[in-house]
Amino acid sequence: MENKNPLSPHIQIYRWHISSLISISHRITGIVNIIALIFICFWIALLLLGEQNYEYINFFFQSFFGKFLILGLTWSYSFQILSEIRHLIWDFGFGYDLNVTKISGLIVILGSFLLTILIFLLGKQFI
Amino acid sequence: MNNATKKWVLLKISTFILIPLMTWFIINLVNIYDEEYVEVLKFFSGQPSKFFVSALLIIAFLHSALSINEIFEDYIHDKKIKNVANKTLKLFATIIPLITIVIIFNLSI
Repeated sequence: MENKNPLSPHIQIYRWHISSLISISHRITGIVNIIALIFICFWIALLLLGEQNYEYINFFFQSFFGKFLILGLTWSYSFQILSEIRHLIWDFGFGYDLNVTKISGLIVILGSFLLTILIFLLGKQFI
Repeated sequence: MNNATKKWVLLKISTFILIPLMTWFIINLVNIYDEEYVEVLKFFSGQPSKFFVSALLIIAFLHSALSINEIFEDYIHDKKIKNVANKTLKLFATIIPLITIVIIFNLSI
């Protein structure tokens, strides 16, 4: 039987709003996060190869690119966490007003940067 | 409860569990990523990391499979391609965390 479900409109015909920006960013960060998690699985597997082989990955993580990658990932996870919380609040029936969705969208964007800083401070045990 | 509702409920439950797990993991990742081999090994082979990382992997891959399945539903028109994509997705979402968890439980200092 032919599937008659409607398909989502293609993103290039949207006029961009905060809501659409958050929605597409939520999906992109979700994909980035799962790819990152696959690499984290490889990273864990590399531990089996012993200390000498681990030096290559350690060299990468200590480089500028390694640190930038972790910073980017922290932002991507922060964004996803806040955006998921926003979705959960919607699921409980709150925050559907147009102005509230704009404000909550802005909170997700700005909050993701603040959460990234907070996670770095906590991770590096500055606080 | 129909299939779509079951998927939605599972997605919401996994989100609820993932938020604290992801926060815990990313803080620890920032803490250990540039550490020496022994420190990283100590983290992944010790408790409660073993338990929490395993839980994170199972739930994160399940959550991703459910979410990516939604994207496939939205954007893939061809039914056959969609089926293959969904089956491949399920396979990867099972194998990758399973192998990693076996590795984690075999790590020791």
